[in-house]
Amino acid sequence: MTNFKSKGFYFKFYSFLPIIALFISVLNEFDLNYLELKYFSFNFPFILIFFFTLKDFKNFDYLLVFLAGLINDTVVGLPLGISSLSYILICIATSYLRNITIRPNPIKDWFYFLFIISLINSMNYSILTLFFSYDLLLLSYLVNIFFTFILYMFFAYLFKYYLKGLND
Amino acid sequence: MPSSRDDFIIAIRSAFLKKSTQQKFSLLTLVFLSIFTIILSSFDFKFIRYLKAGISEAVYRSSFIVSIPENFLKNTFFEIKEYSSFFQNYKINKEELNELKSKNISDQITQYENKELKELINNYTLSSDKLLAKIIVDHDSPYLKSIIINKGSKDNIKIGTNIYDRSYLVGRVVEVNYKTSRVLLLSDLNSNVPVTIAPQNIQAIITGTGKNYGEIKYIKEGNANLILEDSIVYTSGTGAIFKSGIPIGRVDVADTVSSKKFKVDFYSDFNQLKYVFAELITKAEIINEDQQFETDNSQINNTVDTKLQILENEKKIIEQTNLKFKDENELLKITINNLNKQIADFRNEVYDQKQIIAQYNIDLDEIEFLRLNLKFGHTCRKSFLNNGGYEVGTMEYKNCVMNKGQIND
Repeated sequence: MTNFKSKGFYFKFYSFLPIIALFISVLNEFDLNYLELKYFSFNFPFILIFFFTLKDFKNFDYLLVFLAGLINDTVVGLPLGISSLSYILICIATSYLRNITIRPNPIKDWFYFLFIISLINSMNYSILTLFFSYDLLLLSYLVNIFFTFILYMFFAYLFKYYLKGLND
Repeated sequence: MPSSRDDFIIAIRSAFLKKSTQQKFSLLTLVFLSIFTIILSSFDFKFIRYLKAGISEAVYRSSFIVSIPENFLKNTFFEIKEYSSFFQNYKINKEELNELKSKNISDQITQYENKELKELINNYTLSSDKLLAKIIVDHDSPYLKSIIINKGSKDNIKIGTNIYDRSYLVGRVVEVNYKTSRVLLLSDLNSNVPVTIAPQNIQAIITGTGKNYGEIKYIKEGNANLILEDSIVYTSGTGAIFKSGIPIGRVDVADTVSSKKFKVDFYSDFNQLKYVFAELITKAEIINEDQQFETDNSQINNTVDTKLQILENEKKIIEQTNLKFKDENELLKITINNLNKQIADFRNEVYDQKQIIAQYNIDLDEIEFLRLNLKFGHTCRKSFLNNGGYEVGTMEYKNCVMNKGQIND
């Protein structure tokens, strides 16, 4: 691994991979919707932010998360700041969980994630419908929450491998 | 109990305020910043508008670049799908093309007529240029259905500009930046389009469903039963948001337990849009010298217009009646010809019959002569013993036989 670390650029790129992935995902809206799978949608940035802020990953800057939120709003066409607020609230939730947890448990994290994304999506839905008069499908939100929750464990598994590679 | 509450407060405070070694801002600051941004973005200040347009320009371009690999995969996926049904589609398209070619000419005539009539009604001419625009971002969000095109205020795109896929309506522009614009698709939940359903001529409103079809809503009570499967839906132009007469899709009637649901299958597939047309409309009043004069005498003008209108209508009616008469005439001519032909046939038949009857009568006389000849021939025939008789074969001999042997003196 010393060899890997000595290659400065590659190591830096590797260590900034989560934040790069976050920006790519908000710019690209990586959603697999073209596969035309009925009702299938998930929120990859939520998974990414939750996991890496929970792990207190040093290169995962909150300001960059905030900026990613602004980009997401611009791409999706939502009022600026909505996604930023959602992402920052996830950061707060993970920070709180980190403070109160002595012995981490992946299953507990998983269900805490479900609670947090449900809460944040509800807040999102309320703000958009009440203050911005958007017509939104509640079912889409529920499906999105469900698949995000289901896929969290899969991505968490991948991210753990990534972290292992970084720590080795 | 107090200690647990203290722990909770400490954890919360720590979550909000404590900065990690790498973090430049506390989360509380960023929360306030987010709320501040939301509030600011809801106001329509000029500065904010320009800022938003600037951010959008940069983000849309970046998004286009970042999306290149995914778009490549997506296009490959669609191409493979297309190839698999290539021949089938080719056959269907060929048939459709033949049908459309025949319809096209009459459609063009109708369009010209429509255009002329609209100009007469509105008193202005609408010249429209269709501008080809490339879709740079088409991320299909589960909540909002919109696309980003590479034309903006620089190309005279305005909020509300109608967007087409070939000649089908796709949506309208809801956000304009300098070189990019956001188009709200018809399938979006926030999209409402006033439409006419043909051939029943029913006025309704189509709303997006968030899926790949629309739904007909706000129909006058009683009209719902008149809507049939495959009825054509096109814009009615009510509200002047969309131009009238733009095709949108076909009705798909879905019966549910409680009531009928009217879906609209859009002609255009919004998932596979690559290029669209933005319609730039320039409006020019029809004013010439005569009309300028006429505007001063609007009342006279109105009367003249009305008279002209009536005369035009009369002319139309007369033309229609003439056409009808012409058709009838043609029909009568054909009937007369047929009847004449029948009469000629009948005449021929009668003549033939007469011939047969005449022949029959001749035959009958001959038989009678032969019969009487056998009986009275010897009394009429000239011989050694009968000097008063006649030569066989002469008319006198025949008359004698026919008179049953009586010799005329």
